Amino acid sequence: MPSWSELEQFLVSGLALGGVYALSGVGLVVLYRATGVLYLAFGAVGALGAFLAYQMIQASAPGWAAWIVCILIGGVVTLIYGTIFGPALAGRDPLVRAVATLGLTLILFGAMELLWPPTSGATRSISLPTDNGGFTVAGLQVTWTQVIALGAGVVLTIGTGAFLRYTKLGTAMRAMANDREITATLGVPVRRVEAAAWFGCGVLAGFAGLLLADLVQLEPATLTFLVISSLAAALIGQLRSITVTFIAAIVIGVVHDLLTPFTALTNYRDMTPFVLAAIALLWVSRHRQIMTRSREEG
Amino acid sequence: MTVTTSDSAAAAAAAGRRPLLRRPDKPVQAAVIVVLVLFVLFVLPSLMSGYYTTYMTLAAIYSVVCLGLGLLVGRVGLYSLGQGAVVQIGAWTGARLLYGTGQPFAVVVIEAGLVTMLIGLAIGLPALRLRGLYLALITLMFAGAITVVLATVNFPNGGGGFTGYNGSSLHIPPIRRPSIAGSESAYFRYAVVVAIIMFVLVYAHLRTRPGRAWAAIRQSEPAALAAGINTWFYKLWAWALASFITGVAGAVLAAQYQHLYSINFATQDSIILLAVVLMGGVYTLWGAVIAALLMQLLPGWLQSLGVSYAWLYILFGVGVLQVLTTAPAGIADQFPKDMKRLGGFLWRQVHRPSARAAPGTSGPPGAPAAGSPGGGAQ
Repeated sequence: MPSWSELEQFLVSGLALGGVYALSGVGLVVLYRATGVLYLAFGAVGALGAFLAYQMIQASAPGWAAWIVCILIGGVVTLIYGTIFGPALAGRDPLVRAVATLGLTLILFGAMELLWPPTSGATRSISLPTDNGGFTVAGLQVTWTQVIALGAGVVLTIGTGAFLRYTKLGTAMRAMANDREITATLGVPVRRVEAAAWFGCGVLAGFAGLLLADLVQLEPATLTFLVISSLAAALIGQLRSITVTFIAAIVIGVVHDLLTPFTALTNYRDMTPFVLAAIALLWVSRHRQIMTRSREEG
Repeated sequence: MTVTTSDSAAAAAAAGRRPLLRRPDKPVQAAVIVVLVLFVLFVLPSLMSGYYTTYMTLAAIYSVVCLGLGLLVGRVGLYSLGQGAVVQIGAWTGARLLYGTGQPFAVVVIEAGLVTMLIGLAIGLPALRLRGLYLALITLMFAGAITVVLATVNFPNGGGGFTGYNGSSLHIPPIRRPSIAGSESAYFRYAVVVAIIMFVLVYAHLRTRPGRAWAAIRQSEPAALAAGINTWFYKLWAWALASFITGVAGAVLAAQYQHLYSINFATQDSIILLAVVLMGGVYTLWGAVIAALLMQLLPGWLQSLGVSYAWLYILFGVGVLQVLTTAPAGIADQFPKDMKRLGGFLWRQVHRPSARAAPGTSGPPGAPAAGSPGGGAQ
């Protein structure tokens, strides 16, 4: 049984990881609510942005330019996909639209394996300058990157909630979540609102990719499939509630990292998101029908 | 979807060992299948180099995996994003039993299928309450969890205990193969025979009561329920059948690799499986064969050309998007149509000068069916 002092450090890193999961989970939920598409290419898009940023930093471009490119590339790729395949698949089952994003995932994954083949020795990584700075709280070492990760999660959850609640665009998105056809009849420019949702989700993907490339590792498969962990958080929030998604993401991140020092469990810690999401899904399915959306459109 | 109530299922199964066509009671098509199977079993092994034998064996094994997933997706409408993990369960069980017991190989293969089926049922019982997207996602979650467990427990390597893993062993014995199929080409034949049996098993299901129930469920679950079909039971049945044949394939796969490591099973495998199954076509049994050739033979061919395997991911990604937007029935449906069109075109070109009008409009009926596997296998 590890002592509390051993656990403390993992609590900090877990909160940071949870913050990134929250950021991704909220992005997934917002896009799903606005367009009905579960964007499974979220991780791959973020990874692509991170690799491009890495390439720019290798070519001694200024760091800030690389980060902006990373974030924007996520938005642009997502927007292009959404513009082409969003309308093409608009009338289809949510399941088909989610599987289609797996097609994009495979394309991006292949492109990354092609352009940045696995290195045998040294692993690639992006080090943000915020890694070095930091402060000590109650004897705990905290880096600015960790603060940014958790902070971004918190700010984006609150910000997105307020955005959906109080702005015109947000209201339009919520309306589309309820009924796309009626919303269009009311004069909402459906395509433009969807484009905004796609771009916003893509920007979040790029941002998450940048943070994860720093906090975890810059490797195509790892980053591409880390989306499953944030997806778990979004599922616990039933692809609906961003508050529940946020809480679930923080819990997943913290539990995952807190299990690290336990020798018996450390190898199983990667199961955390899967187990929690499976329990949540099964629990909910016992008590409530949660496939209202797929019912409406299926 | 053929829901014909013809009594020819047994006759067709006897006439064509590989009942992959929609109407295999046609004698020409049945003959084509028989010839093809005989060719694959007796001629092909001697034509292939050892390099391609390995890839073709993998393709034969994975055709069963693709068959299972195609059954779920195309016949019942259940999308699973976790079939890669089911293969791993079958491979683990098969390897453990082959190391730990002296039972005949065929018995072990069936046992591995049964164990996988039980685990599949344990997951399916609660998971099948969910539908559509949520079902696909919960299979993704279970697959993730299973992959983590198996990577930690490690695949058996001849050690003792429940896990059969010995971390310190230097000389790892290979996983044994059946005594009649020790060599590479003999094992290829063995894998093909197993695959044929699995195809016949699934075909028998499709032509009888469960197949008709699945067809009804796929069209509309409420309507199936109203027609008195126990949808829960038949969905679970499809789930169990798919798990069983995937587990069988996993056990055969274990003896093909002979040494199993968790790196044999990549994270993206489940997604690639779904991609190739959709590309191959989920509404015919041919689709599973095409899917397996895409997934297992194509990498070998590309590697011999010195092309990076990463292109495959791109190809599969484009293929999925294409299938979902324009060609929902996949290559198995598209290719014969294209061949028929091409055949008709050539036929007209050849016969236009002559005054004799050709009877019928297009080429011989057997031609498109024969073209499909031939095109995939080259």
